[in-house]
Amino acid sequence: MPTITINGVACEFTPGQMILQVANAHGVEIPFYCYHDGLSIAANCRICLGEAWAPNPRNDNKLEPFMGGKLVPTCQTQAQDGMVVHTDSPKAVANQKAVMEYLLINHPLDCPVCDQAGECLLQDYSYQYGRGVSRFEETKVKNPKKNLGPNVYLYSDRCIMCTRCVRFTREVSGTAELYVDGRGNREEIDVFPGVALDNEIAANVIDLCPVGALLDKDFLFAQRVWFLKRTASIDGITASGDNLWVEHNEGKVYRIKPRTNLEINKHWITDEVRYGWKHVHSDDRLRSPRRRQYGALVEDDWNRCLDKAAEGLAEAAEAGKRIALLVSPMLPCEEAFALAEFALSLDPHAVLGVGPVPFEGQDKVFPPGASEDDARAFKLYAEKAPNARGVRRVLAALTGAEPLEFAKWTARAQADDAGAVIITANYREACPIPDLLRVADRESGRFVVVIDTLNGPLVESADVVLPGATWVEKGGTFENARGTLQAFDAAIPPIEFAKPEGQIASDLEAALRGVEVSATSASSVVVVDEGPGQVPQAAEIATPRGPTFSPADTRTRMGDTHAALAMFKTDVRYPEAAKPEEADMRMVEL
Amino acid sequence: MPKKTYDATPEHVLCRRIPTPPFGRFEDRRIISYDDYTADSGYEALRKSIGMKPGDVTEEVRKSVLRGRGGAGFPCGVKWGFLPPIPEGKAPGEPGAERYLAVNADESEPGTFKDRLLMDFDPHLLLEGIAICCYACRLSKAYIFIRGEYHHQAKVLENALREAYDNGIFGEKGLIAGDANTGGDRFRVDCYVHRGAGAYICGEETGLLEALEGKRGWPRLKPPFPAVQGLFGKPTIINNVETLCHLPSILSNGADWFCGQGVESSIGGPPSFGTKLMGVSGHVERPGVYEFELGIPLRTIVEEHCGGMRGDKKFKGAIPGGISMGILGTDQYDAELDFDIGRKHNVLGLGTACPTVFDEDTDMVAVARNISRFFKHESCGQCTPCREGSGWLYQLMTRIEEGGAKTKDLDLALEVATSMGSMPGTTICGLADGNNWAIRTIINKFRDEFEARVARTFVPVKVSVGAMAKG
Repeated sequence: MPTITINGVACEFTPGQMILQVANAHGVEIPFYCYHDGLSIAANCRICLGEAWAPNPRNDNKLEPFMGGKLVPTCQTQAQDGMVVHTDSPKAVANQKAVMEYLLINHPLDCPVCDQAGECLLQDYSYQYGRGVSRFEETKVKNPKKNLGPNVYLYSDRCIMCTRCVRFTREVSGTAELYVDGRGNREEIDVFPGVALDNEIAANVIDLCPVGALLDKDFLFAQRVWFLKRTASIDGITASGDNLWVEHNEGKVYRIKPRTNLEINKHWITDEVRYGWKHVHSDDRLRSPRRRQYGALVEDDWNRCLDKAAEGLAEAAEAGKRIALLVSPMLPCEEAFALAEFALSLDPHAVLGVGPVPFEGQDKVFPPGASEDDARAFKLYAEKAPNARGVRRVLAALTGAEPLEFAKWTARAQADDAGAVIITANYREACPIPDLLRVADRESGRFVVVIDTLNGPLVESADVVLPGATWVEKGGTFENARGTLQAFDAAIPPIEFAKPEGQIASDLEAALRGVEVSATSASSVVVVDEGPGQVPQAAEIATPRGPTFSPADTRTRMGDTHAALAMFKTDVRYPEAAKPEEADMRMVEL
Repeated sequence: MPKKTYDATPEHVLCRRIPTPPFGRFEDRRIISYDDYTADSGYEALRKSIGMKPGDVTEEVRKSVLRGRGGAGFPCGVKWGFLPPIPEGKAPGEPGAERYLAVNADESEPGTFKDRLLMDFDPHLLLEGIAICCYACRLSKAYIFIRGEYHHQAKVLENALREAYDNGIFGEKGLIAGDANTGGDRFRVDCYVHRGAGAYICGEETGLLEALEGKRGWPRLKPPFPAVQGLFGKPTIINNVETLCHLPSILSNGADWFCGQGVESSIGGPPSFGTKLMGVSGHVERPGVYEFELGIPLRTIVEEHCGGMRGDKKFKGAIPGGISMGILGTDQYDAELDFDIGRKHNVLGLGTACPTVFDEDTDMVAVARNISRFFKHESCGQCTPCREGSGWLYQLMTRIEEGGAKTKDLDLALEVATSMGSMPGTTICGLADGNNWAIRTIINKFRDEFEARVARTFVPVKVSVGAMAKG
């Protein structure tokens, strides 16, 4: 394999790779602003310039200055076998210092009020490559702030004109809303009059921006980024299986960012996914279990509600009636397994069905006209449920037959022999489907347990309501539209008294067995340490009654007990272990 | 026998039909129509070329060592040699074998107006050059990219182009297309006039290609070079107007005739053959475009042809050919204008060879400020050093001119200019290098004038009071 030496490190590469790409792959740091793996090469920031020597075949392969000894842009120069590149030579360092100084002369240096501070390449590189003082005594160019579209603000005074955002709208979204206006140091990124930056993946420009020029309206002034912790997760609201980071602090999600996975979502996510976590902290979230008392729903503690649910379900089972379970496609495979296992233990002929799979609009491939298998294509899915395939797979394995789709399930659940119904929903919006409301109808005499996350008409008609958890509050596995199984972890603890559905299944099972809970552990207070600089948060966490539900253990058990689910032991993809972050300042013990 | 000196009054080649001193008066210049042009052996060189093999035409040009007249002085024949061969079994212009000629008529360098003369009065000379180039390099389409401010010249060119089409130079029934009997190397050639929108950077060859494609005129990354992947991703030759206008005479008279004009390099570099249009401007009695052999000293041009310095003032300095080339100092009045000038007189190069002459009353600080204003205004804003550095330099120069600066600002200006790019620079195109050369040479060659405008920077020296008291 050909080898190139960058800053003294020998790196193997595949022909065609640029020097910067090779360096990135081998962990050799070269500063860059305008280069991005998912975009074309512009080579206009000029900070990645390095000195290069290449062997000359006409001179006995002696190393000779490449391109006449001028500094070459490493992002745009292909690596050659035997090449030696230095970005730490005096000449290259002088250029880095000069470029840093140039970038900052018209930059407002308003880091204290800038959202990007803490994850800003200007800050990082200024610290590593820049000079400590500014020699610029003239007047700065002051460019205006602009409202580009529904999700994005442009602070053009902070812009360094790397044109990543412009290239994104031209090459990836194919919508070309952004362009460069003006010339020289007065030029700005802008949108055409009357054409807002408004497409389904527009907010990716915020992540692309290496500085604080393009900012998220939703995240604006919401949180300092150094307080955020991030958890690798999977798209929990559409069938894409997009990889993402859930960024949170003190048990609250602040934003969602894409996590690079070249096979699935490349470097991008849709705006729908990015802002699709709002229901997690919605005022309409169910925060406490409820049970029906004298015809009205009242909030009560978990134990009494679990007892009530177990009682109603057992009554129906003893009467020889069917238990019907509707598993929502919003639930991960492990929870579908736990719930279905519980229903089958009550009634071996339980009616298992897959909840309604919402669709919205049509599948869309970016850039428009690209084939889905194109290396650069990014797909938006109309299917707005993350795990319809996984739920079907689990139910099919447990019953040995194709699971009932929603329409057939509603018919079976409304039949006379159905004595109790367990409905899980967990959708982004309260589920108003009339068929479902008919199944849960109070007049029918069926015992209805609803496990949901949001208040709504479905909840109103239940006998027992148990608050479930959204995907950021629990772990599990989703199977996306392309059949890829991807595991994810809980980012935040469940809010207030909510519990993951898997835990609810375990607790219901315990309640059926008559496991008693000691009074002291009815609920407990756990102090969650949120790290340096943060006030420790006291989280009230509903205590489990049954064995603690663990997605990972359930996955193993699924694979062990059912041959049809063996893929859960072998084929599940886990997020890559995060690279240990190198502290740029040594911690000093005081 | 190498030629070492220039001919004082050479036979006019480019200005053969355009009255130019000493053979004619500026006032007698008029547009040469197709009929006038053909009456004076016009398009004969094209007919002669078509009778030759395309490779022989290229070889003749290569032998003549015709160096590009746009500024860089790159040998034209060598540039043509970079073109990849046409795919087997295809004629130029067929799908898959498109190749283009982009004629650089975006003459935007301040003080440069030589191409304008050719387009003003002798447009058919350019068209003949284009046709010869297209035939020799197997190019099927030629685009004349003319700067937006040249309204009149664009009209003249368009009229001439219509005449050329009507008289069977270009197009389906054109001279190069031939007819059914000729066969062989014949193919259809088309020519278009494309008007720019008035940006200096579109005169940079790859910026010109971007502008031709209808995009923002941001210079492209090289490699790939335009000869391999140029306009619309196809092989493209980019030549200056004056370079192309030399082709007809080279083809009719032969390369040896061309090498008989101009001078060999006196420092062992490549030679500077042929005549050159020189547009003299500034503080001279009779500014205008003249045609001289390369190698003529600046003093001869000013004193003998332009009527001397205006008002008999003394010579102070001159920009040899466009401000991005730097400046000649007071002691460099005798500089020979040929392609060696860069190495001999500490400027970037000959450039367009259109000297702007300054007399003793000129304020060089104001000149520097004005130059930096131009570059700040025309920087395309693609690369960081040029975008930010040119603005910074202008502000520094303004402050120095206004008297609010210190010596350290002078040094800072020099450092900024140098770090922006000093050939080989750090930017995609050469605009930053031009800015650097202009400012650097002007400060270095007229430093006393700058120092007189700035206050001294006093470096505070730490004084130990205790020691003083003791002593």
